[in-house]
Amino acid sequence: MLTRNMANYTTGVIRIKITGDFPEKFINLCLARGLLLWGIKKDGNAVYAYVRLPDFFKIRKPALKSRVKVRVIGTRGLPFALKRFKRRKMLLVGAVMFMLLLEVLTSYIWFVDIEGIKTISGDRIKAIAADHGLRSGAAKNSVKEKEIETSILLNVPEVAWVGVKITGTRAVVEIVEKTMAKTEDKTPADIVATKDGVITELIAIAGQAAVKKGDTVRRGDILIKGVLSQPILELAEQRPPVPQTSDQYIRANGIVKARVWYESYGEAGLVREEFRRTGRRRFAVALKAGESVIDLKKVSSPPFTNYETEVIYKKLPNWRNTGFAVETKVSVFYEVSVERHEISPEEALDLAKTQAIKAIESQIPENAQVLVHGSEVLNTSLPGLIRVKVSMETVEDIGFTRVTLLTP
Amino acid sequence: MRRGKIERLAALLEIPDDIVLDLPRITMLGNKQLLVENHKGIIEYTSPLVRIKLNNGELIITGQDLTLGNLQAEQILVEGTVTGVKYEI
Repeated sequence: MLTRNMANYTTGVIRIKITGDFPEKFINLCLARGLLLWGIKKDGNAVYAYVRLPDFFKIRKPALKSRVKVRVIGTRGLPFALKRFKRRKMLLVGAVMFMLLLEVLTSYIWFVDIEGIKTISGDRIKAIAADHGLRSGAAKNSVKEKEIETSILLNVPEVAWVGVKITGTRAVVEIVEKTMAKTEDKTPADIVATKDGVITELIAIAGQAAVKKGDTVRRGDILIKGVLSQPILELAEQRPPVPQTSDQYIRANGIVKARVWYESYGEAGLVREEFRRTGRRRFAVALKAGESVIDLKKVSSPPFTNYETEVIYKKLPNWRNTGFAVETKVSVFYEVSVERHEISPEEALDLAKTQAIKAIESQIPENAQVLVHGSEVLNTSLPGLIRVKVSMETVEDIGFTRVTLLTP
Repeated sequence: MRRGKIERLAALLEIPDDIVLDLPRITMLGNKQLLVENHKGIIEYTSPLVRIKLNNGELIITGQDLTLGNLQAEQILVEGTVTGVKYEI
């Protein structure tokens, strides 16, 4: 069926209208001559049928014999399409132009992408590539991949391997970085306290301890001095001391643990407001293109007396390597009802405490060890309000490496 | 009778009757399509009625919106909604 349809398309098909007294006779005569007719349909007095273009030139005789009139009412197929093309030359020119333009445009590199870089800057690689002719706008066959690869390898010592490949109009410079040994920072530095506290433990790995266990330090005090300690000299006291002209500054290193106190305050009313969504909501839709926002559907403001807002950004998924600049912003306004609850003093106390503890916990580092944990209810003159003071004591590392300011 | 003899011979050799006796083969696909092979031409064709000449009589097909598709010297395909097929000798 399909092959026959295709054959019909290439030879061309004509829809004919047959009028006359005996169209059946015409059909039979056509059949006898082996002229293929199909899709025969009767509509009133006229009979419509399809006939192939080569057969159409042979139906003259049967038509005359059966005294019917045959009229062409439609054409379909390649010969007719070609005829149309002959008449509309610009269409063909356009098609050829399209092909040419496609060919020309795809022979240039439009994008240069760099993949696999972690620490090396992409601009540096791009600059080297551009020096060797790999830039957007360069002709594809003028790019010498090998040359660029070796040049990048030679110029950027951090690169272990580099591969340049061109896929379509995109050139990808794939880079594998060397894992370089970390260069140690040797800038002279002290260890200073980040918090007030009492030192509980002090181990100086490099440098001289400036405080000792049990000392109270303030924030910013130097804990370990970045000066070279000379224990050998101290041990050998008998020897004449070596005259020191100047201190040798080093980068201090060590562990300093201290007891640190925290205090915070929380309060809670005996009446608590609770918000609950009623289920009524409104949408506002806006189109966001770059910086400008176009409102598609607005909501009277404020939409409800009490409400919560939720903003959803909808964006089309990225296609290949380009993101869409336009996105939709949907704001949903939920109506909320406010319910006032009386709560017991115990519950209020709990709430106040949690609030206070939360405030402290944001200040305590993760590895701190909590020693004492206490709370104290404060007397208030205000009725219906409970106030709590929470204090905590922790042991934590308070050392912080600060670069020494060298004073001449 | 000559015909009877041929028929018996055909039965003996297990040759289908339609080949030996030049009979039409009529195939129906539901009431949508009706294929008549080995016909002798169309006598009448209108939308509700098709008459096809056969070797020994004629076939009258009634229905709605009948069209003739795939018309060839050997076969006729009647498409549409077939409501009746009558064989007249």
